[in-house]
Amino acid sequence: MNRLFAARRPLGLAALAIVAWVLPYRLNVYWISVADTALLFALLAVGLGLVMGIAGQVNLAQVAFFGVGAYGVGILTTAHGFGFWLAALLAMVAAVCAGLVVGLPALRVQSHYLGIVTLGLAVAFLDWVTNAPVTGGDSGLSGIPTPPLFGVGLSSQYLYYYLELIVLAAGLAFGYFVVRTSLGRRLRAMRDDALAAGAAGAEIRVLRMIAFVLASVYGGAAGVLYAGLIHYIAPETFSIADMFLLLAMVIIGGRQSLWGCVVGAIGLTVAQQELINLAAYAQLGYGMLVVAVVVFAPTGLAGVPSRVRRWRLRRWSGISAAALGSFSGVPSSGRTGAVLEVSGLVMRFRGVIALDRVSLRAEPGEILGIVGPNGSGKTTLFNVISGLYRPSGGRVDLDGRVISGSRPWRISHHGVARTFQHLRLFGNLTVLDNVRMAMDRTRSWWSWRYVFWPVGVWRHERELSRQAGAVLDAFGLAAFAGALPHSLPYGIQRRVEIARAMASAPRLLLLDEPAAGLNGDEQRQLAEIVRAIRASGVTVVLIEHNMGLVMSLCDRVVVLDSGAVIASGVPASVAAQPAVLEAYLGTTTLPSEAS
Amino acid sequence: MQSFFQTLVSGLSFGAVYSLIALGFSLVYRTMGLVNFAHGAVLMTGAYLASTFYLSARLPFAVAVPAAVLATGVVGLLIERVLRPLESKDVDLMLIGTIGAGTVLEAVAILIWTSSGRGVPSPVRAAPLDVGGVRIPVYNLVVIAVAAVTMVLLTLFLQRTKRGAAMQAVAMDPEAATAVGIHVGRSNAVAFAIGAGLAALAGSLASPMLFVSPTMGDSLGIQGFAAAILGGFGSIPGAIVGGLGIGVIGSFAAQWFQGYSDLVTFVVFTVLVMVRPTGVFGEKTVNRA
Amino acid sequence: MSTLVVENLAVRYGGVSAVRSVSFTVPPGESVGLIGANGAGKTSTLRALMGLVPRAAGTARFGDRDLGKVPARHMVRLGIGYVPEGRHVFAGLPVEKNLLLGAYASKWDSSCRARLSEVYDLFPVLGQMRGRLAGALSGGQQQMLAIGRALMARPVLLLLDEPSMGLSPKLVEVICSALQRLRAEGLSLLLVEQNAMLTFEVTGECLVLENGSVAMTGTSAALRDDPRVRKIYLGL
Repeated sequence: MNRLFAARRPLGLAALAIVAWVLPYRLNVYWISVADTALLFALLAVGLGLVMGIAGQVNLAQVAFFGVGAYGVGILTTAHGFGFWLAALLAMVAAVCAGLVVGLPALRVQSHYLGIVTLGLAVAFLDWVTNAPVTGGDSGLSGIPTPPLFGVGLSSQYLYYYLELIVLAAGLAFGYFVVRTSLGRRLRAMRDDALAAGAAGAEIRVLRMIAFVLASVYGGAAGVLYAGLIHYIAPETFSIADMFLLLAMVIIGGRQSLWGCVVGAIGLTVAQQELINLAAYAQLGYGMLVVAVVVFAPTGLAGVPSRVRRWRLRRWSGISAAALGSFSGVPSSGRTGAVLEVSGLVMRFRGVIALDRVSLRAEPGEILGIVGPNGSGKTTLFNVISGLYRPSGGRVDLDGRVISGSRPWRISHHGVARTFQHLRLFGNLTVLDNVRMAMDRTRSWWSWRYVFWPVGVWRHERELSRQAGAVLDAFGLAAFAGALPHSLPYGIQRRVEIARAMASAPRLLLLDEPAAGLNGDEQRQLAEIVRAIRASGVTVVLIEHNMGLVMSLCDRVVVLDSGAVIASGVPASVAAQPAVLEAYLGTTTLPSEAS
Repeated sequence: MQSFFQTLVSGLSFGAVYSLIALGFSLVYRTMGLVNFAHGAVLMTGAYLASTFYLSARLPFAVAVPAAVLATGVVGLLIERVLRPLESKDVDLMLIGTIGAGTVLEAVAILIWTSSGRGVPSPVRAAPLDVGGVRIPVYNLVVIAVAAVTMVLLTLFLQRTKRGAAMQAVAMDPEAATAVGIHVGRSNAVAFAIGAGLAALAGSLASPMLFVSPTMGDSLGIQGFAAAILGGFGSIPGAIVGGLGIGVIGSFAAQWFQGYSDLVTFVVFTVLVMVRPTGVFGEKTVNRA
Repeated sequence: MSTLVVENLAVRYGGVSAVRSVSFTVPPGESVGLIGANGAGKTSTLRALMGLVPRAAGTARFGDRDLGKVPARHMVRLGIGYVPEGRHVFAGLPVEKNLLLGAYASKWDSSCRARLSEVYDLFPVLGQMRGRLAGALSGGQQQMLAIGRALMARPVLLLLDEPSMGLSPKLVEVICSALQRLRAEGLSLLLVEQNAMLTFEVTGECLVLENGSVAMTGTSAALRDDPRVRKIYLGL
């Protein structure tokens, strides 16, 4: 069944390419101009899809990037007599600069704040364009030259169609190249769970900037082509209404899918052109469609096939838990475990002391348990160690190097991996992608290879897949490689989280309540896995409430109560200490063991 | 010096309008955690309804405005009902849902009233006051007065009534609110309706000062939103301070930078948001990644 | 006067079995404790009873009402008060407003005012801080506020979720005596706690939960002296 699908795609693509190539011959003058406009919006939409759908960044300034590209070309050719292509290149540079500017707020704020800031910047751009003399103000710029290609002026709309088609195809290809490889995976992980992505080594801030730069490149390119096509630009093309129309295209088409964005763009452009005399009705239509899609089908048109598939799968039980393979040892990474040293750690939240001068030490090849009653600060401790919080006092050292106060991604690159109390897998990434994402230890600036050395990206991708496959095999998860986390039984999801953590070849592994919700069998398997991890030399620190598991698994135990360490040592001795009993069971004299 | 005060007065009366818009945003955000991108369109709807009641139905302005506010409140209830399934889910999706709702409202406005827009004559016939050489249109004072009264009423509602307290409680802790018997969904609907009413009031009051058109909500909505954020999202005194601030900044920017006033306002606003996203009074929203 | 009857209650969160099967009754005027280590399923049981999370299986009845059919916001009308884990006071509102909201389901009239003074009598410190914002109170004071808020609706059954969490032993004493006083006044209590000793002081009967099931039951007096309780807590 899968093989048929696999064969379908290249055939389908080939058919589509042929249709697209032959199309202009069947279109009259009106329709070719519609097609030309549609392709431009498709390019814009892909850019918006990359930043909003793939990277999860709200960007209501996409139309401004469009404007920067168009006005860049317009101003440089009409006022300064630049040749078209030189002007285009400079306009693209300007668009990328605009992308960086618009992306800056994304480093501080997200979601609705980011929405309003980007919208505001778009309005500011529009304001400038409407008023500045250099842009021709309200009347715009006319007389933009046609771009010459191989000596031929592309004044014919038919020929221009091919230029746009090639650019769009290249844009889509590059877009898919990004999405399907490590950069795209990181962006999608960031979208799904920025916290977990950071803990797995993703440089969130750089990734957000990259997302905006990508959007601006596509937007600028569309603007450049637009100027060369229409030869006239005016502020009304880049209005907020057009931004919302563009947003509608991406939402209705499916923002997480690039081809969905294209379909949405082409569909809405055609509909808009056809309904040009009923413009208000068209607007009413797509507005209602956006609301309907958002409430009932958030993944848009592109999400329909997988929803249908999932609906059909509901009849069939899907992958059964029996497909879980046995755990066959941790692939050795050649790295030795790290020494974790926590000294006098203090963490204060608005006057509440969550950690009160906590000190502890964990050595390689040992399992240290952190236990304590509810609210004693255990997860806070992990959050400080993994960089989610900056401590109010004290420090955390890893092999002698201070890591407290560093960002989560940097701590991850020093060799710290963790799991979370409330399972944080990347929901829209397959199990394989979850693991591959963590496995990827390259830094973000490595992404320059996407433009200048794509072969390197490809090779890296193959290597990642091979290693990730090995990890999945070792953890018995090979059968689930292509599954989405939410479709899997809880116990298997837990194991995936551990596999993901181990994929980054850590020297220190922090496990936050790994046994929560597991049944007896699963707990036994978990213990086996944790012991094997310890045997491979990794330092393991474990928070658990399941005292039976802690007693049997941990070499040493530290007991926290109200943020302070009240006991530490070998489990059996700690359990006998009165302070510990009090912390758990409460004050009052306790009965002595009758034995 | 005169011109300074002239600009200031004009800024304050626009600021009063922005404060009302910001109040509406803040109320909805505080109670539902929702940033309503349809707020501008709701404002526009209120402006059109008020002007229709005033001009076409010949109702006195003082009746047209409350009627418009009520009608728009109902529209608000409708929008909330449609988007309710998203309330506890994806924030970004809800944001986009409100953008869609705003687009729908704008399209309906164009269909009913055409896109040409209309001017609304000032309902106050008296000559402008002259205070030490500064011309103050009486209507501007009316606007400031109505806005002030509304804010007092809203504050009283939130602080002194059971429903108002419940609305605040829902914003702080929906589960604990449920445990004491508050219907969270209904409370949110009322909050949304009041927010819409405030936007409609702002739009109605602004209609004699600005040109009423289907796209008037875009710029005003963003200004009001910026005011809400500046003052601190979720804070009523913040909405007032933010609104007056944006109004005054905008007024002076228009004076000094002419057409570029929007641009200046937004660049200033962007920088402020990045430096201090909490605004003057609000809560932290910055994440550390 | 109604009895709370819970039979074979099971709760699942997204695939995790938080509670596998729990059964108990709370007759009118009686107090029952649910104790156990963390993750044992105590909080989930309470939240499922309140209707804040769905039940996967089992039934819960209060008198002749099937609690499964009652939405969470109507629990207070049945006379069931809820003190959530972590207090959950309305931080931005003053203490008195928090208490008044506890009586949301009825009119804010003189009988409500009378109830307010009763709560101030039980927790004098709340009376002293009545104008302060709830968020500015200490943990112990917030806990008293949360209990007081639940009492404002004159409940006949009070569900408490880990009231001692994060409190110093002295404050735990204060809460303990307050609960004993309420019990003496005839209020039924269902107390979920990790602090076993506190629970034994306040309740007549206890269930010890472990991994979502009942590991032991007995009268509080008997359990207090039973070394098996310690074993269950500490996994020995």
